[in-house]
Amino acid sequence: MSKILTTEGLPLEKSLKKVEQKNKFRAFLLVLPLLLFLIVAYVWPILNLLTRSVDNRLISDLLPQTAIALANWEGNEMPSEDIYKTFYLDLNEAHKQKLSGKVSTRLNYAKNGFKSLINKTRRKLKNFEDENYKDQFIDLNKKWGDIEYWQAMKVAMPKYTIDKYLGSVDLEKNYSGEIIQKPEKRRIHRTLWYRTFYVALGVTICCLLLAYPIAHLLSTLPLRYSNLLLICVLLPFWTSLLVRTSSWMILLQQQGVLNDILVYFKIVGDKSRLELMYNMTGTFVAMTQILLPFMVLPLYSVMKTIPPSLMRAGSSLGGTPFHSFRKIYFPLTYPGIGAGSLLVFILAIGYYITPALVGGASGTLISNRIAYHMKETLDWSMASAMGTMLLISVLVLYWLYNKILGIDNIKLG
Amino acid sequence: MLFGDHLLINKQYGGLMKKMLITALVSVFFAPFATAEVNVVSWGGAYTESQKLGYGDPFTAKTGIKLNWIDYSGGLSEVRAQAEAGNITYDIVDLFAKDTITGCDEGLLVEFDFDKDFPAAPDGTPASEDFFAPMPSDCAVGNILYSWNYAYNPNAFPGADSMPSTIGDFFDTEKFPGKRSIYTGAMSNLEIALVADGVSAGGVYDVLENQTGALDRAIGKFEALCNDPSGGCIFWSAGAQPPEFLASGEVVMSTGWNGRFFNAIVGEGTTIEQVWDGQVLDYEYFGLVANGPNPEEAMEALKYFTGTEGLAGSAKYIAYAPFRISSLDIIEANEPWYKDGKTEMLPQMPTAPDNTKNYILMNPEYWADNEVEVGEAWEAFKASL
Repeated sequence: MSKILTTEGLPLEKSLKKVEQKNKFRAFLLVLPLLLFLIVAYVWPILNLLTRSVDNRLISDLLPQTAIALANWEGNEMPSEDIYKTFYLDLNEAHKQKLSGKVSTRLNYAKNGFKSLINKTRRKLKNFEDENYKDQFIDLNKKWGDIEYWQAMKVAMPKYTIDKYLGSVDLEKNYSGEIIQKPEKRRIHRTLWYRTFYVALGVTICCLLLAYPIAHLLSTLPLRYSNLLLICVLLPFWTSLLVRTSSWMILLQQQGVLNDILVYFKIVGDKSRLELMYNMTGTFVAMTQILLPFMVLPLYSVMKTIPPSLMRAGSSLGGTPFHSFRKIYFPLTYPGIGAGSLLVFILAIGYYITPALVGGASGTLISNRIAYHMKETLDWSMASAMGTMLLISVLVLYWLYNKILGIDNIKLG
Repeated sequence: MLFGDHLLINKQYGGLMKKMLITALVSVFFAPFATAEVNVVSWGGAYTESQKLGYGDPFTAKTGIKLNWIDYSGGLSEVRAQAEAGNITYDIVDLFAKDTITGCDEGLLVEFDFDKDFPAAPDGTPASEDFFAPMPSDCAVGNILYSWNYAYNPNAFPGADSMPSTIGDFFDTEKFPGKRSIYTGAMSNLEIALVADGVSAGGVYDVLENQTGALDRAIGKFEALCNDPSGGCIFWSAGAQPPEFLASGEVVMSTGWNGRFFNAIVGEGTTIEQVWDGQVLDYEYFGLVANGPNPEEAMEALKYFTGTEGLAGSAKYIAYAPFRISSLDIIEANEPWYKDGKTEMLPQMPTAPDNTKNYILMNPEYWADNEVEVGEAWEAFKASL
């Protein structure tokens, strides 16, 4: 069979492919800006975050010889004179390059107290004599004779470490590399992880319970009423998050509007006003209201597509309204429930500002802890580790969802 | 301000004035081209207001350099983020002592050559001696002295024989029932708890650092207070919150910054009372961000802010004591110094003799050292509530 040729004498198949490739390339050029933007503004920062959580090179770069010496040190008896000397030389070098401050902050994350120890020591480095380094260090500050500081330094030395991840679940490594529990009084993260998931799940359920009837009403009302109602749902969307949170504060506080009304109608006594804010209740109420539109909209878009005749058909076949709802209507809304729940859950799990403002002490979530490390302690590796864990848990959830319900089942509108 | 003061200063700073005049002329000439604006970052509210009116606006009037006042809630994260991104927009930041230490260690702030960089007092005393206390790090220049004390709402205890007057009363829910508001972090809280528990004000940090169980003891004091059915705790994080909580009746007592309480009481006529016992006297500092956008103008501004007149100026609007001893002379000579023209300012300050009978002096080194571990224990306590 002879090939069909174009006027230029090329096989048609090839020529078509060429044109197609050209078109594909053009299309690619169109999305290129977006792709670049995504890489620069999204993928790269996330990768940066991931590496930051394990990258611990700075400290061994600043104290290179000490890192080697400590790696060879067992850690169960006091370090030798040689280690003290090596440490002196490294620290002095770092100090000359004006980097001893960084040494002090990094080591202080490993064990508190290092900061002032190094800062006090570095000013005296120039007075050191070239012998008996160990005695000179201990004379300067008795902490240098405390083995715990050297053990902590040994633990802090590896170039790459999972210590920050261990820290985010209240574990730590001791000098011989065993993973141990943190002291009981300092265990905080596990509680916060549980609480974060509990709140996210709770808010998702509350949102679903509230949004389902609203969405149903929206989809069945005549257009002019439903549009008005839709605006009511969307209005909070267009209001600043901070404004909405603050208005909840006005409503919920003990001397606030809600309590005043309850007291006025003698439902509660003036002395026993309800505590609706600065606790878990406040977090739940405010977050549910703020995230509600994210549940209403996907549900609405799905319900809109369900023909009302289906329910009528159910009734005509003898089903009670509840039975037809359970057997026909409800299963048809699964894609909306899935989409809305996933959306609300993912947003809720990383929520920061609302719990910070209305949550009080018992409403604090893991994201507030991340902010604490970003802002207060400047331990960004720790913040990155927790952020990464949060990211991974969301991805796992997404994967689970896909496994169980199938992601193409989702419908956002 | 008295005319005489101006005259004196003019004489002494003749050379400087000439220089400034030239700067002013140059800046007028190049105004359309040179858009040097110095970004100053501070804590907002009544405090930033006092800084703006006290030395910010006079500085702009004098030099033509515009200042942008930016609010923040403490910490060095923004500065560090800007430094890492290579796009620094902050010039001057108002910082806690511990942050000037960390900022210096991390190379985020400029190290000062103190006596060279900052002007001497009008009587010639070098800057380093004119300031109340030595700086906690080479990157800090003192700004104010303030205190973390507590205030109460007198209407909350109608039946009481006496009003709260000691730091112990803050923890006494039997005598003074009702909710308390405390600072969200551990800083200042541990100190007052220990003093309320019987530790001498001068020995607090010694106990915290050297006595085993001191941290548990301090936190235990709050555990008892916050879990008490006739007590309870709310945590504040912004300086404007404590007076607000007290005024709205949300709490009966609250720790807070004395200047904010003063502002609520004298400035806004709120009925709350401050207690001066077992409070934490603390210093506040300016830091100059390394590689900031306008280093020269920023340094000029900093010199002006922390000069004798500048610091006295901000004390006109808020009850924080100026860090310079020589500023007190200006205030004393011109009382009543407060902006309303009838309130004497010196007795309101955390440094006034009546207010310093029993106080704790903040030790920033302790906090720079122990922030992480103490912070974990503190957060664990909060999470258990």
